[in-house]
Amino acid sequence: MQSDLIAEVEETLKRIQSQKGVQGIIIINAEGIPIKSTLDNSSTVQYAGLLHQLVMKTRSTVRDLDPQNDLTFLRVRSKKNEIMIAPDKDYFLIVIQNPSD
Amino acid sequence: IIQTHKGVIGIIVVNAEGIPIRTTLDNSTTVQYAAQLHHLTMLSRSAVRELDPQNDLTFLRIKSKKHEIMVAPEKDYLLVVIQNPSE
Repeated sequence: MQSDLIAEVEETLKRIQSQKGVQGIIIINAEGIPIKSTLDNSSTVQYAGLLHQLVMKTRSTVRDLDPQNDLTFLRVRSKKNEIMIAPDKDYFLIVIQNPSD
Repeated sequence: IIQTHKGVIGIIVVNAEGIPIRTTLDNSTTVQYAAQLHHLTMLSRSAVRELDPQNDLTFLRIKSKKHEIMVAPEKDYLLVVIQNPSE
C-alpha cells in the first residue's frame, strides 16, 4: 500500500517536472523540512526555508483579514521565474517555473 | 476600468509607505488590507531577493477560499486588486 502511494507521488512529480518551463519541484512538510526535491541540496534548503516562512506569514495575513478565510494557493512572480506554492494540511508543494511559459 | 471587470470586489492603491491613497472599499477594510498586504509584499520581495539578489518581485497572487488578492508592486506604489476567485 505504502509503495503504491510513493509510486503515485513519483509519477505526479515526473509529470509536473516534464511540463515545459518547470525548473524545480520541492515538497516540504509542515515544519518546513524538504522531503522531496528535484533541485540540488543547497538550493532546496534555501527555497524551503524562505518559502515556508513566507507561506506561514501569508496564511496568517489571510486569516487576520478574515478569520473564516484560508490560504489555498500562492503565486510569487519575479523577473526570472515564478514560484507557485500549494499549501496542504501537512505538506506544501512548491513548483518553480519559467515565467514566460 | 479594473473596477468594471466582472468579479472585482475592490481595488486599493498603496503608496511606498503602506498608506492607501486610492480605494473603492470602505475605510476600515482599506486600512487593514493596505497595511497587511504592504507588509506581506515587503516579505515576498525580500524572499525573492534573498534567493537571488539580481531577481525582483513583479507580481503576487494570493488565492484563498473566499477570494483572490493580486498585488502588483510598482516603483512607488502597490496596486491591490481583490476579486472573486471563480471569475
